[in-house]
Amino acid sequence: MRDLCREALDAAALAGAEYADARAILRRSQSIATKNQQVETITDAESEGIGVRVLVRGAWGFACDRRLTAEGAQAAAERACAFANAASAGRQRPLAPLEPASGEYRTPVARDPFGVSLADKIELCLRAEQAMIHADVKVTSAHVRAMHETKSLMTSGGVSADQQTVETGGGIEALAARNGIVQVRSYPAAFVGSSACAGWEYVESLGLEREAPRVGEQAAALLRADQCPSGRTTVVLDPEQLQAQVHESVGHPTELDRLYGTEAAYAGTSFLAPDDLGSFRYGSELMNVTADPTTPGGLGTFAFDDEGVPARVEPIVEAGILHGFTTSRETAARLGHGVGGSMRADGWSRMPLVRMTNLHLEPGAGTFDDLIGEVDDGVYLETNKSWSIDDKRLNFQFGTQIAWEIKRGRLGRMLRDATYTGITPSFWASLDAVAGPEAWVMYGGTNCGKGQPGQSAHVSHGAAPARFRDVEVGVRS
Amino acid sequence: MTEPLALAERALAAAAGDEMEALVHAERSGLARFAASDVHQPTLIENVSVQLRVVRDGSVGWASTNRLSDEGLAVLARRAGEAAASAPRDPRFDGLARGEDLPSIEGYDEETASLAASDQARLARDAIDAADRDVYGFFTSGATEIAIASSTGLRAEQRLTDATFLVLAATDGESGYAEATSWAVGALDPVAVAEEATAKAAKTRGARELEPGRYRAVLEPYAFAELLDYFAWDSLNGLGVLEERSFLTGRFGEPLFDEKLSIADDALDPGGLPRAFDFEGTPKQRVQLIEDGVARGVVWDRQTAASAGGNATSTGHAPPVALRQYGPAATALSVAPGTADSVGELVRLVDDGIYVTRLHYLSVVDPREGVVTGMTRDGTFRIRDGRIAEPLVNLRFTAAVPEVLADVVGLGREVVLVNRSDFYDERDPYGVLCPPIATAGFTITGSGSGPGL
Repeated sequence: MRDLCREALDAAALAGAEYADARAILRRSQSIATKNQQVETITDAESEGIGVRVLVRGAWGFACDRRLTAEGAQAAAERACAFANAASAGRQRPLAPLEPASGEYRTPVARDPFGVSLADKIELCLRAEQAMIHADVKVTSAHVRAMHETKSLMTSGGVSADQQTVETGGGIEALAARNGIVQVRSYPAAFVGSSACAGWEYVESLGLEREAPRVGEQAAALLRADQCPSGRTTVVLDPEQLQAQVHESVGHPTELDRLYGTEAAYAGTSFLAPDDLGSFRYGSELMNVTADPTTPGGLGTFAFDDEGVPARVEPIVEAGILHGFTTSRETAARLGHGVGGSMRADGWSRMPLVRMTNLHLEPGAGTFDDLIGEVDDGVYLETNKSWSIDDKRLNFQFGTQIAWEIKRGRLGRMLRDATYTGITPSFWASLDAVAGPEAWVMYGGTNCGKGQPGQSAHVSHGAAPARFRDVEVGVRS
Repeated sequence: MTEPLALAERALAAAAGDEMEALVHAERSGLARFAASDVHQPTLIENVSVQLRVVRDGSVGWASTNRLSDEGLAVLARRAGEAAASAPRDPRFDGLARGEDLPSIEGYDEETASLAASDQARLARDAIDAADRDVYGFFTSGATEIAIASSTGLRAEQRLTDATFLVLAATDGESGYAEATSWAVGALDPVAVAEEATAKAAKTRGARELEPGRYRAVLEPYAFAELLDYFAWDSLNGLGVLEERSFLTGRFGEPLFDEKLSIADDALDPGGLPRAFDFEGTPKQRVQLIEDGVARGVVWDRQTAASAGGNATSTGHAPPVALRQYGPAATALSVAPGTADSVGELVRLVDDGIYVTRLHYLSVVDPREGVVTGMTRDGTFRIRDGRIAEPLVNLRFTAAVPEVLADVVGLGREVVLVNRSDFYDERDPYGVLCPPIATAGFTITGSGSGPGL
């Protein structure tokens, strides 16, 4: 595959590229989904190809070809250069400096997920479903997934990297319906479950069967729960909802390309400005957020990003102050700060974009019980159900699958249809407690959308339960 | 491109099972994305993939590849066979589709299909150059070929093209939006799109906040299309009815919406992005979903129709296998036009309310009640005394779509095709045909950031 990358770089140079990088990728993905005790889908997909990015007279070009042959590599390079030539407006496009390097990386795997039989995977899903069956539960579903990707990256600047990534994941869900009310519970996370860069041992560690009875029971119980009352109150978020909050209100607004408007027409921009770096108060002093592409098991863990920048840990928010952005070589050069390191592409057929890697809310101190114990009147919200945030990442509204009343320091009755809303910096300013490392949990999601054409990034977030004061809860239509 | 139907036949020949089906998807596309009037993210894609479905003893398995060599297809056949052999028998499965006569449709344009990378760059530049301020957006065009062959006699093949100009004109404190989509690039005018966006942006400076509450509102087609698309996801889909997530569950035949409202799903309409068959090879049917305000139907694929029983049959709305868990997809929504000659007439009818150009980041809060939340953006205004008045900041709405559609003040006479594809994964262009709408009820629950960058 390195030879193909070299073919592409040579072809790009011949066509006038002042810079080029090429990624040759082989990816195999397996997905098993069951629903209502039947197999919904078993898919085993492989995809391969080469993507070539070039700079010609200051203009980017990117083209790809499914053929992992010299012809495919050359054709992609030539098309990328043809586009860039046609698009060039003669502007300068400096990139942050990058030393030549070469390296290899492999996800540590204890049990190869492709060595686990399809029959065993199906059986796991069906057993978990069976354990969710409960009166009023209309739909049970379970899924597991595995992915193996081999990627060779080569740049005209002298970076050469071979990386092999393995992902596994899964999740379960119960949907209950009665008298026109529909409620859902999921585990370990909503929508796509949770994944990690790990072998099958990660799926086993999730304990889908173990958690299934609770998921089914809670979905049914929610049908009879009271609606979450409206008003301003204290909110405690579980790590799953909190990782969604971190993702939307910290991760995306600190992607530096958004500050420069490159997502303006689609995903949006950011309320932050480049010169906020080092001075903007993002939240309370308890707020510490770190971008860490070295986290074991993280979906954003690698040795080199898709521009060839070595992985390194970046503080994004320290003691409530904005301290960093996720960057590319181009945006870092424009800012005059940073080196890049967050460029990631969704496979061989997409151009790398500035993406989150693993973005964590660092733990604080104390236990979940300590957090709850200091709440006289509030709600505890678990598991994301809906999410929306404005194009500058200021006004957000989240819904959760389940809520619990907190009265005089104790969890009380179950509540349904909980939502909360806020403005990003004010919300994070109201953070007054984060539980300690023992309560810190990492989730991996595979559905972070950005870019046109759309790209789904796989990112992980860790968080411990946290408490926010004076939050608006219970938005009604 | 590779001949898709011939490739599907090769994949079938390599497979073994009681029934087999091969689906080929071939894409040649380009998307020239620009920001601050600079083309910064071009993506030129060439790909051909084959998906094989194998049935053995009533068990079903899928595999896919883009390795088209004999060896690649042999591995594909083995993996699909292993998948089928590993699965328990599915009692819901009633066999693969048989060959049926396919509708004759339009939807392929040679000029669009033959656009080269340099043409795509030039067309993006045409939109950029027509604007009097920085613009953000893209031009994209693609040629897609889909072919299905099965051991049950199905042979279906379609070529389709699509092209979209999308322009956001924006500076600090100002932004306006416009887009245009067609299956023939010659029908699109980049200058008109850019001018619409820039004219809108110029009116948005000095935006004010708005008190939360229920407002009368005009929604431009861009906003209306997105709202309908999210509503359709749960409510106009047979699986949503079976799982009781749909607002229409148990309510067919009831007047749930304003009598001015009629909605169909019509992939055969040449004004949209026509399709002859779905991802199971079933011919596309026009499905009346809402007629004069009365709930009439939803879309079905083979499995959900079989599960529903009774008279339900597939309407030709099976999604790609990756989206199968969500059920059949209404991806050619078409709203019947009204009588308003212009959006200005709708503004006059609303008299006192708000004007919404575009929505952002929608999320379903309560599927059964059709409650959706999201933001407005790039052209939100107050309507006073039947005229567009001051610009507004981006507003958060949390609205039950059935309530929005229960009291329709008016619908425009002109229907517009709004692109709804974000072009994730393999190219599967789709859109919504709809006019602007004026409603008596649109619930605003908060204010967000202002227009512009």
